[in-house]
Amino acid sequence: MLRVRVASQEKWWLPLAIGGIAIVVGILIAVIVPADSLFRPTTILVASISLMGLGVVTGTAGMIALCQLSFAAVGAWIVEWLSVNDVWGNIFGNFSFVVYMLIAGVGTAVIGVIVGLPALRLRGVNLAVITLGIAAAFDLTLQKTSFPALVGGKHIARPFGLGSDFGGDRGIFIFAVVVTAAVAIGVTYLQHSRWGSSWKSVAFSERSTASAGTSVQFAKLTAFGVSAFLGGIAGALFDSQITQANYSSFSPLQSLGMYVLSAVVGSHLIDMALLGGILFVVIPWILQLLKVPLEWSTVVFGVLGIQALTTGSNLGTDIRNAFRKRRGKALVPVEVGIASSEAVAAVQIPRGTGKVLLEVTGLTVAFGAVKALTDVNISVEEGTILGLIGPNGAGKSTFVDALTGFLPQHGGTVTLDGISLDKLAPNRIARVGLRRTYQQDRVPPTLRVGAYVRFVSRGQSSPTEIAEILQFFACPVASTPLSLVDVGTRRLIEVAASIAAKPKVLLLDEPAAGLSHEEHIAFGDRLRQVPSRFGVTILLIEHDLDLVRSVCSSLTVLNFGEVLATGSQESVLSNPDVLKAYMGETELL
Amino acid sequence: MWLNNVVAGLTPGATYAIVGVLLTLMSQLTRVVNFAQVAVGMFGGYISLTLVTKMHLPIFVGVIGGILVAALLSALLGWIIATWLAEASTSARSAVTVAALLFLISLAFILFGYRNQPFPTLVAGPMFTLPGGAVVSKVTVLVIGLAIVITVGSWAFLKFTAFGVKLRAVSDRQMAAELLGINVKMLNVSVWSITGAIAGLTVALVGPTASNDYVTVSTLVIPGAAAALVGAFKRMDLALVGGLAIGAIQGLFSGFPNLLIVRDWVPIIFIILFLLWNQRKEVWDVAR
Repeated sequence: MLRVRVASQEKWWLPLAIGGIAIVVGILIAVIVPADSLFRPTTILVASISLMGLGVVTGTAGMIALCQLSFAAVGAWIVEWLSVNDVWGNIFGNFSFVVYMLIAGVGTAVIGVIVGLPALRLRGVNLAVITLGIAAAFDLTLQKTSFPALVGGKHIARPFGLGSDFGGDRGIFIFAVVVTAAVAIGVTYLQHSRWGSSWKSVAFSERSTASAGTSVQFAKLTAFGVSAFLGGIAGALFDSQITQANYSSFSPLQSLGMYVLSAVVGSHLIDMALLGGILFVVIPWILQLLKVPLEWSTVVFGVLGIQALTTGSNLGTDIRNAFRKRRGKALVPVEVGIASSEAVAAVQIPRGTGKVLLEVTGLTVAFGAVKALTDVNISVEEGTILGLIGPNGAGKSTFVDALTGFLPQHGGTVTLDGISLDKLAPNRIARVGLRRTYQQDRVPPTLRVGAYVRFVSRGQSSPTEIAEILQFFACPVASTPLSLVDVGTRRLIEVAASIAAKPKVLLLDEPAAGLSHEEHIAFGDRLRQVPSRFGVTILLIEHDLDLVRSVCSSLTVLNFGEVLATGSQESVLSNPDVLKAYMGETELL
Repeated sequence: MWLNNVVAGLTPGATYAIVGVLLTLMSQLTRVVNFAQVAVGMFGGYISLTLVTKMHLPIFVGVIGGILVAALLSALLGWIIATWLAEASTSARSAVTVAALLFLISLAFILFGYRNQPFPTLVAGPMFTLPGGAVVSKVTVLVIGLAIVITVGSWAFLKFTAFGVKLRAVSDRQMAAELLGINVKMLNVSVWSITGAIAGLTVALVGPTASNDYVTVSTLVIPGAAAALVGAFKRMDLALVGGLAIGAIQGLFSGFPNLLIVRDWVPIIFIILFLLWNQRKEVWDVAR
């Protein structure tokens, strides 16, 4: 029933095949369509590449960047400068434009990373305004300095010695088809790679991205860099088409329009970026044919934009859902129950090896005058499940945050297997071997189960092992979109993924919240096996005493930020102080 | 010489300040960064121009008509957002105003034509001369005065009147305010219409003194947003100071022709650095 497939690795050749077919189709179009009508189709492709860039930074990584055409202008400027000065014309000959274009892309990517730096501290609308401000300042600079070809009163040479006549337009169109296909293939692979997963993850939660061992800074800056790279390529391609750029093609207002268009179509999907490019060109063209003022096209975009943004939908997702319905494959929530899946063999509460793996000494955390944790000492023995319990506000979550690097100002020391964690950033701590899960749902719904587990496990488990772990926790198959999985099961997937990362110690922050009583029991049955089966030691923070009793050999009780009691399960649970502080009434036990 | 330049920068600076304060108000009370804030004012400005030149109405009637149209447009946009995006994120709500900005600019091209016409002048002439010989015009004094009045006025209004307290309650906890029987949508729309009217008034005052084409006026929202950023969209006093400072810096730099490119970058870079310092502890997003 729960056969797990690692979907995206099976059809790795599919994007290549589609890209190849697209190139063939493009060449056919170039042959059939009269050469003097190929100018607009080329513009469609240029706009599509630009939209794919926005699809990465905004559509996927969730950062609003309103300077996409500034990136295009940088690309066009670099390519013009290199072409006008014909830097390496005698080395690369007819291919020099391709080299210049790649340099333009890389150069723009560098600018993109710099522009993305504020995103490390500024988010949402603040970031949007910053990028718009940069676009405006850049526009003013371009107005004053202009482009190299325009300044010199020249036109750049088209690639491969193509002429500036209609025949040359045909060549440029084919060139644009090949470039667009290559870019689309590249973006598809990137979206399915670690980078793509980190973009989706960072859009959903920065903390959980870091806890998965991925640097948030890296995720954000790569998104900006890739987006700028695509913008630069689009700008260079545009320049090969028109041979002399002008600042008016890259105004901030047009960047805003690009952003709205990207949101309308959902340009993180390649086909929709292409559709966006078509809309970008075809709507004004139809209006021109109808002798309607061109500005009506912006009115149309404005209305479409308001519609799409107010309903929170985009064409891409709507069209895909409509197709699925037609084929009778509408997306329905996945029903899996850990309780109803086959039972696992009952094992005893795990006993440790005697070696201390995680040692916390004198941990103190203060928020201003409030002491959240005072001089907490805890040691976790390898191969055990230690339970950390305590009433609400006892400092359990603060404890997890401090251990995993989110409260760098804490006092005291934390060592994992002899390595000090005190100075490490959260993503480093995760890589060293201390992982955590979250009380709230921190599983990015834009990923699929398999991609998420691969992202979190960072190559520590083979596909077979991942399949085994997913099956062990009765998780949905790898190809299931996480958006279709209920919150309780998502948190089981989070636990499974963290175990697949093979940490030395895993901190589980109330993993069973949101599960039914039967599911609690089934989860506990599996948890008891984790230390011996997967070699992962567990520190379990839990409210549910039934679960704690069924899996933990020893317990530590926190109350008002201090350790109230610690020791074997029996001794702690019968300690009168614990009963008083934690339960209030003995009947609960 | 340099004082002259700084004074010359104060009129645009005060305009940025007004826009910045309006944006801060909107962001605080209606959870929107309204990119169409000046565009509605621009639209109102051209309505009054049409009323005055085509229908031969007196200037003041025309200007009031324009301000009303600006308020109405703003209210309509606010109503759309309050109806369909009541629970949406600030980013999603703000994105709608980006679309509205583009919509209004292109509609202006269609309705009012491609040829730029100057706005009817409300006030003109010098107010007084500073000791160094720098002339301060009536418009400068008026716009700075308006900026201060709006800042202090909205601060006092939100702090001391029952209506203001209600507004703050609505913006903090919309659901709770609704459960208390407050008509949230009505309140939101009234904020939109008031800020729209102020934007209309500002354009009517400043419009005649500078280039008044649709795009230039509407994109005043960019330096205005930069001013609001100085106060992180939270503090109106900082937005006021920020707007005036940006204008003054730009004016100062205009005295050095070989620094013109630097001039365009100084405000945004200054703001980025200020914000990065201000938000240096915001290492993680709000979701815990």
